[in-house]
Amino acid sequence: MPPAHHPRLTLAAMLLLLLGPLLGCATPPPANDPEAVADFNEANDPLEPTNRVLYKINDGLDTILLRPAALTYQAVVPEPVRTGVHNILSNLNTPVQLGNDVLEAKPRRAGDTTMRFLINTTLGVVGIFDVAKKLGYPNHDTDFGLTLALWGVPDGPFLFLPVLGPSNPRDAVGRGVDIVADPFTWVGKGAAVTALNWSRYGLTVLDERSQYLDAIASIKKTALDPYATFRSLYRQHRRAEIEAARNDDRGTVPVWFPQPQTTPKN
Amino acid sequence: MINRRASISLIAALPALLTLPALLALPVGVVHPAQASTAGDRAAAFIKATGAKLVAAINATSGSPAQRRQVVGEIIGSTVDVDGVARFCLGRFWRTATPAQQQQYQSLFRTMLIVNIASKLGDYQGVTFTVGATQDREAGEIVSTVIARPNNAPTNIQWLVANATTDPKIIDVIAEGTSMRLTQRDDYASFLSQHGYSVDALIAALHNQLSQAG
Repeated sequence: MPPAHHPRLTLAAMLLLLLGPLLGCATPPPANDPEAVADFNEANDPLEPTNRVLYKINDGLDTILLRPAALTYQAVVPEPVRTGVHNILSNLNTPVQLGNDVLEAKPRRAGDTTMRFLINTTLGVVGIFDVAKKLGYPNHDTDFGLTLALWGVPDGPFLFLPVLGPSNPRDAVGRGVDIVADPFTWVGKGAAVTALNWSRYGLTVLDERSQYLDAIASIKKTALDPYATFRSLYRQHRRAEIEAARNDDRGTVPVWFPQPQTTPKN
Repeated sequence: MINRRASISLIAALPALLTLPALLALPVGVVHPAQASTAGDRAAAFIKATGAKLVAAINATSGSPAQRRQVVGEIIGSTVDVDGVARFCLGRFWRTATPAQQQQYQSLFRTMLIVNIASKLGDYQGVTFTVGATQDREAGEIVSTVIARPNNAPTNIQWLVANATTDPKIIDVIAEGTSMRLTQRDDYASFLSQHGYSVDALIAALHNQLSQAG
């Protein structure tokens, strides 16, 4: 199947086409106002005018399309089913997750991911039930953007991507690499596979959006500048996620083996 | 959380603000045994007591909104350094604001905080929390807690407590890695930069928001 026919790749191409004509740059404040200049540099958002336009478009789409869909999903589909869907989607992400764990040189995380896949695919009935978590193999987030961060790649200026939302060059590249690296992007062909891929994609959107219904509504209600608030939250959250991965130095010694002394650190 | 790559929520790939169970499992509060000093212990005890007060207020939801606001106002007044947080959130503009503006702003900030928290109490019916490790930071003691709500993934919340040994006060709340006061300061800073750095415009906007919140 040529790459452009894959749903996610098609979408990525469409986004790039959309983005082109919209490029505009923020005007830095006058140099005689050093504090304003410091603020401008700290915001690190040279494409702010473009980003804001894309935020508005996304927000509009969200209001008329995604939010109602997520509300319906929440109202119509019972909670246990939604959890099952979430777990299946999470299980499908295992190959990419494992690849990143390995590239990040996090053996314990890679072990967790492997055990989660083996346990949840079998005992958990193709991933519907997260049995592994109860057995001591918790899930964790990772992606190639995070891997790049651990390799020392800086995030770069803020980007608000059409449809995808807050990002930056590093995380956007990481997202693309994850899509290409995902075996499910390439496995099989034909209408059925395309339909399955689109279903996975659509369900992922519903699953994620329905989890943030309250959080997003409350931000939009209480923030004076929701765009800037989302920008700040994205960055802080990302930083915390990266630090959590960086500091995850749990050993890989089996529980029945004498445990090495854990060195306290701060 | 799943599948960040495909996390294409429209406005919000904006990931995982509040419910990111994966992070919970990570060693957030690794403490030097020697440093689990009285400051950390006192901060933890203080957060435990404050949490208990809030849970009591949540479960006593029979009151009218006005009553609830009064209770929340009392708890916040005695446990949060509201004026300090307000100053932090205004950032560099605090220095350039006139005393009248400062006073107006601080009073609005306090009311906003109380109204926002009081309006959310209902969502926290049946909440439980456990106090975990503490960490020593320059700004104060960080106390980690896990908040569990029925039908919600547990949330990792950290509380930054200043003056733990003398007059403990909360100066920040960090939810899944996102600091509330930092987020608020970024929000105000951006608003101000879009409105000619006018503190009066900010005060007007806060007024407006408050009147809409009813």
